[in-house]
Amino acid sequence: MSQAAIETPSSWADAENDLPATQVTENADGTKTIISYKINDQGKKVKVTQKVKLVTVKETVDPAIAARRKWAKYGDEQDNPTVGPDDKTTQFGEEVQLILGTSWKEDAQKEAENRKKEMAKSKPQTITCRTCQGDHFTSKCPYKDTLGAADATTTTPQASATATPEPSMAAVAGSGPVRYVPPHLRKRAGGAAPETERKDRDDSTTLRVTSLNEQVDEMMLREVFERYGIIKRATVLRDRETRRSKGIAFVEFENVNDAQRALEGLNGRGFMNLIMKVDWSKPRKT
Amino acid sequence: MMRPLMLKGHDRSLTQVKFNREGDLLFSVSKGKEASVWYSSNGERLGTFVGHNGTIWSIDIDPETDYAVTGSADFTAKLWKAENGQCIHTWTLESPVKRVEFSPDGNQVLIVTDQVMGQTGKIKLFDIDHTQNAQPSTPKLEIVNEDGPASRFTVAGWSYGAFYILAAHADGKVSKYDARTGELLGSTRNQEMVLTDLQFSPDKTYFIVSSKDKTACLYDVDRLSLLKRYTADVPMNSACITPVKEFVILGGGQDAREVTTTSLSEGKFESRFYHKIFEEEIGRVKGHFGPLNYVAVHPKGTCYASGGEDGFVRLHHFHRSYFEFLYDVEKTAQATQQFEIEAK
Repeated sequence: MSQAAIETPSSWADAENDLPATQVTENADGTKTIISYKINDQGKKVKVTQKVKLVTVKETVDPAIAARRKWAKYGDEQDNPTVGPDDKTTQFGEEVQLILGTSWKEDAQKEAENRKKEMAKSKPQTITCRTCQGDHFTSKCPYKDTLGAADATTTTPQASATATPEPSMAAVAGSGPVRYVPPHLRKRAGGAAPETERKDRDDSTTLRVTSLNEQVDEMMLREVFERYGIIKRATVLRDRETRRSKGIAFVEFENVNDAQRALEGLNGRGFMNLIMKVDWSKPRKT
Repeated sequence: MMRPLMLKGHDRSLTQVKFNREGDLLFSVSKGKEASVWYSSNGERLGTFVGHNGTIWSIDIDPETDYAVTGSADFTAKLWKAENGQCIHTWTLESPVKRVEFSPDGNQVLIVTDQVMGQTGKIKLFDIDHTQNAQPSTPKLEIVNEDGPASRFTVAGWSYGAFYILAAHADGKVSKYDARTGELLGSTRNQEMVLTDLQFSPDKTYFIVSSKDKTACLYDVDRLSLLKRYTADVPMNSACITPVKEFVILGGGQDAREVTTTSLSEGKFESRFYHKIFEEEIGRVKGHFGPLNYVAVHPKGTCYASGGEDGFVRLHHFHRSYFEFLYDVEKTAQATQQFEIEAK
């Protein structure tokens, strides 16, 4: 390739830039060693040693198919300069699973049931009757008349003895100061950091995208980020009720280098009339 | 796991997708006015057929991939050069064209016309002259539906050797006609509602018919007897028979007009894989955001394409696990066979 250019005699003025000719040596094991020289960005001479093995892959194709492969494009594609698939019309979708099996339906059903059971288990009992400790409102208590109205002085010993599951309730009934405990910290001894659950997820390849246009959805996000590499996950944070985008999204790449390139390429770039901010989803440990 | 290729060449819902004989090209038509041609290996679009003036309901390719034929709601069927997308002939008919198909030898084409606006639904057979562009404009044979609009033709196809025409009706009836004389040779009715699709096995000796009554039925051509029945839980729009593996693929989903009132998970917009012999559902592939209007499988069984109401064609290349899947009984049978060979 560049061999010819190197071998042509150059003028004396360029003499100091002259690079030694490329050497190609055939090795005993059928490989080739190519030693070439080039000048890098800093203007330094660099020696490049490549070991190359040539493998001939033979592929037999039906002649009709080979002929069709050479057909010129027509119709709407006639003036399309793109070589190969154009990502306007051809894209990779998300991975889908096809697990063939006779029992997949039952498995899926079982899984759904298990999930339901777990949901039921983890659901905290939020309503406790102050009169009888049942799971109904105090005003709806069937023993309201027989046990008498809920009275702090009469129920306090009872409540502390049965140790209600709610720490906040315990705080009310117990001697400690009345303090509001947020729901996500309840039931945790010593207010253990809630992040512990999330620690197992590897966020090293995840980018956080902020000041995103509300119109942008996962598909559009993918379209923009996909050119930098394979995307594992793209999520737009949404309002729980209205499903409106909050303008924040997370994009997880398959590898860090792609993520780094996407970060460099897209941070501060305009997208749908807003200037995107792209950052790592978590501060990096370097 | 598979990564499907998403082909976004149409802005309206797909009506039919079809591979050519070698399977290197995929043809798709939609409710838009153009047909698209794709390379099935990488999803690159080769071109479009421009010229129709309404929904294109159907497309077919002749065995040599010289010609493609399309049938449209603009009362025409067109013949195209597959190589350059030129329209070389237009047949004008008296009602919308619902289905077109080349005979197995490519020398004839059948056109199913809809029974609307006071017209009687017909299946028309035309000869194809491969030596010139102009084609005969009068049909060689016309098969007329005589049972009223409730039993109109919806789709039809050619059997092996172009001996018979198999037609599916709107009332769930399947009938068989002689392709030379147009004589009705028999009919059977095993489904309750509109038949949506009819696709043949690779050798064209048996075929599968999908129906809005949530079933698909497998019939044989010679006796027109019901061989198998596959039951789903949503209306089915299409069904195909896979080569290599003994499966059938069904596609469908809730009706388009009801989709907006339900959530995605309830729509059941999945391709369903059934075992052809055991009639059991063995797997599903998710992906479309609307009902599947057509499923087609590569003639070598290596991939399949589905066209959805959402305007996408999804092209799935099968992984090894697909080809290795066997029922327990099949495994046992293989093992005993192997054992017997070794014993000898």
